[in-house]
Amino acid sequence: MPHSTNAPRLGDLERVVMERLWDAATAAGGNASGSTVREVHESIEQDRDIAYTTVMTVLDRLAKKQLVTRERDGRAWRYLPADSREVMTARTMRRTLDDMEVTDRRAALLHFLDGASTDEIADLKAALAEVEARAAGGSAAPGSAPPPGR
Amino acid sequence: MLPLALAGLAVALVWVAPRVLARRTSLRRSPRAALAAWQAASLGGVLAAVSVTPAALPAVLGREGVADHPGLVALALLVSAAVIARLLVSGHLVGTRIRSARAEHRALVDVLGARDDHGVVVLEHPTPTAYCIPGRGSRVVLTRGVLDALPDDQLAAVLAHERAHLRARHDLLLEFFTVLDRSVPPMLRSPAALAEVRLLVEALADRAAVRRSGAVATARAMVAIAEGRAPELGMSAGTSAPVRLRLIAAGPHSALSVVAYALAVLAVATPVGLLGLAWL
Repeated sequence: MPHSTNAPRLGDLERVVMERLWDAATAAGGNASGSTVREVHESIEQDRDIAYTTVMTVLDRLAKKQLVTRERDGRAWRYLPADSREVMTARTMRRTLDDMEVTDRRAALLHFLDGASTDEIADLKAALAEVEARAAGGSAAPGSAPPPGR
Repeated sequence: MLPLALAGLAVALVWVAPRVLARRTSLRRSPRAALAAWQAASLGGVLAAVSVTPAALPAVLGREGVADHPGLVALALLVSAAVIARLLVSGHLVGTRIRSARAEHRALVDVLGARDDHGVVVLEHPTPTAYCIPGRGSRVVLTRGVLDALPDDQLAAVLAHERAHLRARHDLLLEFFTVLDRSVPPMLRSPAALAEVRLLVEALADRAAVRRSGAVATARAMVAIAEGRAPELGMSAGTSAPVRLRLIAAGPHSALSVVAYALAVLAVATPVGLLGLAWL
């Protein structure tokens, strides 16, 4: 029982913990030295009940995924986000587009649009005009009502 | 004679059919039926290829001779088993790669973005884009850029498109064709076939978007997202978006689907029938 409820909760907690680390890094500015498990735990505990060991586990998982880095500080570890949220998001987005081999990537994630070149955007606009003309023709024929909003 | 017919059929379905189907662009107007035809042709091709040696047994040995030559029977079955094993191995390789890529990506997205109760994750990124991560624990991923760029009805169209992918498990379909593509020798591969299946899957999901928000909103969403792509995220030419828009403009054409479904039934029934004949 605890096993089945733990797995999704750990995933959610990873985000909560990352957010604390990002906040701490932002607050510290350039000379961010990272947060200890105790500091992260204290920060989260203000909002919700959470065990110290859970925070430790989550930080450990994040370190394994290389989302955080850690340095020894006496007997404790200090944890730092591997990068800012913006940088990590940008990297993740890029990765969806060029990291895997093309065929695998296209089967792994289904994009609404594959991206388009400048020529194709012109082509797309022409096709959009066709769709709009057809829709206008279809609805304007019986009543010839003016398009809404104009 | 029958084993030769099966071998011929296997070649026809594996090599000829994809090239013919990929050129029948009119079939794109009934994507569901067209996909059925594609799947049936591939499945029929595999069935025919696997059936060649078992069908050859009674033809070569005579119906009574089969029992006297267990070695030949074993050899024939071994050939069929090798074909199946080839498929299973590449299926396993492709599947494992895809699943681990998805799991890794989902974990990242969950940490970086905010998720609502419906499995929609929003990433704080200015480039308007939308995609889904299929499979167990599926997600629809939207960027802040797409939320800012699209009005509600267009956003609903995009969501309907992605949810259609997830609901109908289009990922399995694409995986099936990717596996088949990897299983055949490179000279028999048809990149056009894979591209066509991919286009049909998108056209099918576009249908869901049009049902939700209408053709105009769907088309506008597509143009807005295409225009909003930052150059470093934009991909090379050759995307299917203009074709998809023209399909939306043209609307469905259901008469063609009858032909496609008939072809689908024929493609599967023929190899089964031929193998049956060899043993009757």
